[in-house]
Amino acid sequence: MNIRVISALAAKDLKLYFSDRLFAVVTVLGLVGYIVVYFLLPATVDETLGLGLYAPDMPPALEQLLSQADVDFLRASSLEALRQAVLDGTVPAGFGLPDDLMARLERDTEITVQLYISPDVPQEFVEIYEVILHEFAFAFSGQPLMIETTEIVLGPDMAGAPISPRERMLPLLTVFVLMVECLGLASLISAEIETGTLQALLITRLTMVGLFVGKGLFGTLFAFAQVVLLMAITGGLFHQPALILTALLLGAALVTGVAFLIASTGRDLMSVMGWGILAVLLLVLPTLAILVPGLASNWIRAIPSYYLTDTIYRVITFGVTWGDVASNLLILFTFAAVFLALGVVVLKRKFQ
Amino acid sequence: MTQTAIAAENLTYAYGKLLAVDDISFDVAEGEILGFLGPNGAGKSTTVKMLTGQLRPQWGYARLLGIDVASQPKKVQAQIGVCFEINNLYETMSGIENLVLFAKLFGVKDFDAPALIKRVGLDGRGEDKVERYSKGMKQRLMVARAFVNQPKILFLDEPTEGLDPTSAQAIRTLILEEQARGATVFLTTHDMYEADRLCRRVAFIDQGKIVALDTPRELKQQYGQRIIRAEVVAADGSLQTREIVLDRQETPGEIAALFEGERVVTLHTEEATLEDIFIQITGRGLVS
Repeated sequence: MNIRVISALAAKDLKLYFSDRLFAVVTVLGLVGYIVVYFLLPATVDETLGLGLYAPDMPPALEQLLSQADVDFLRASSLEALRQAVLDGTVPAGFGLPDDLMARLERDTEITVQLYISPDVPQEFVEIYEVILHEFAFAFSGQPLMIETTEIVLGPDMAGAPISPRERMLPLLTVFVLMVECLGLASLISAEIETGTLQALLITRLTMVGLFVGKGLFGTLFAFAQVVLLMAITGGLFHQPALILTALLLGAALVTGVAFLIASTGRDLMSVMGWGILAVLLLVLPTLAILVPGLASNWIRAIPSYYLTDTIYRVITFGVTWGDVASNLLILFTFAAVFLALGVVVLKRKFQ
Repeated sequence: MTQTAIAAENLTYAYGKLLAVDDISFDVAEGEILGFLGPNGAGKSTTVKMLTGQLRPQWGYARLLGIDVASQPKKVQAQIGVCFEINNLYETMSGIENLVLFAKLFGVKDFDAPALIKRVGLDGRGEDKVERYSKGMKQRLMVARAFVNQPKILFLDEPTEGLDPTSAQAIRTLILEEQARGATVFLTTHDMYEADRLCRRVAFIDQGKIVALDTPRELKQQYGQRIIRAEVVAADGSLQTREIVLDRQETPGEIAALFEGERVVTLHTEEATLEDIFIQITGRGLVS
């Protein structure tokens, strides 16, 4: 294999990639955009609960509870003002306590509390507000709950260190960057088949093996360079750099294999895009499981990109080590090797 | 002693049940220009693909410069230049970038791209992107690309098709220059005039078989008729055409009778074209 020939091929591919305005713009703007999106996302999780309260007859116990709780309170001057605050979105929910609260407490008669909820508040949060109300009730009556709770944390204990939207989003952005490059490479190869330039290349000293090495190296290293840049700028690279770089390199090799497969099925840019978008949707799915925990079942593990996103997420978020993600890397390596081999076989058939 | 540049022996290739090339054999001498003529689907492209190592013959063999193409395609390809029928240049790269890329792929050292660009008449346009070239300019660049490695054998597939006379003539001149350098040229063309002017020998291929292979002159003598075509003024004053076939025993008498009995206005000799001969041999035209 001639290094000069391979490097000439790779240099040509890089030039052609950026001479295609669509992919040049999508690549550069995408990369910049993803980095901007990352930094626009909150770096910390806001755990303060917003709550409005109308309580003309405030019990001292409640007054004390409010001063201690991590709740952002809004004291309304009237029930109407409370309703308006919820409607305006100033607070997501509000309690309207009766005017004769203290008298009812003394008489031990039933107390009716109005709970105003904004329509976009999820049901889980409604339940949280109801729990708070019960806490208030116990605070008024002074009777403690006769329940003892033991907490058992499954997996890394993230108490006090919640996962920020940025950290959850980073694996998704990584897969996006890889997939844009995957589409670009597939389009490039498909165009070479359609225009017959590949035929011209293969009647030189360039062998079929050399062609695949050139395309494979270009695809993998180009994708790798982009995700490394993303990780470096977002700071993701500084958690176990060697581990992250290994995962990214395997991920880049995986999408290069996918690009070979897409290029072999596509007949023109539109069909490449059609198959490519299907591949993007499939490979992005595992990142949704990170964004919304519990959303996906175990079948998501059948998707190769799961082992990339899971590794990145666990290294960045939980600081896991080589031993913890060794199986992930092994499976990712296997997937990358299988997809590359499969891509080479079908693409070679297409060339011939 | 003239060496054989291309030797094809019993070359055969079928696409499924369709026999594209059917047991053809021929030789091309070093420095010779061979015209390979035939209608679309006759087997020209498949033959070229086997000769250039793009397809492996299912039967028979091809040797270029004494090297077996099927077993050592890269060794052969390093010494040949191919100009494809379709434009397969990198359109978003400049003319010079296209040539430099292929020079690198061929491992050519000290490659002078501007000189080659100038030689094919693209001087001053080498830095322009190919997508801005006219059809004729692209074709010149395609031919230039085939010259990059100073090949010993050139395969040119319809190099002048669809070009204006000036561009076509420029390419014909380049082909003759390459021949003068010592290159062997395997020219696939529909253009009978071009084949007649450039080729020492022509091969007619039809339905996968070579049906004739000889010099144009020999083919014309063997299959064609030379005629005299005369325009005469008829008794009613109108112009009429008379034809006399040459090279027969009765020809001198017919010519004498023409001049004695008619008022001859114009007189031309005509000989059969390669197209006529192809039709005579195969029963159909070259462009089909």
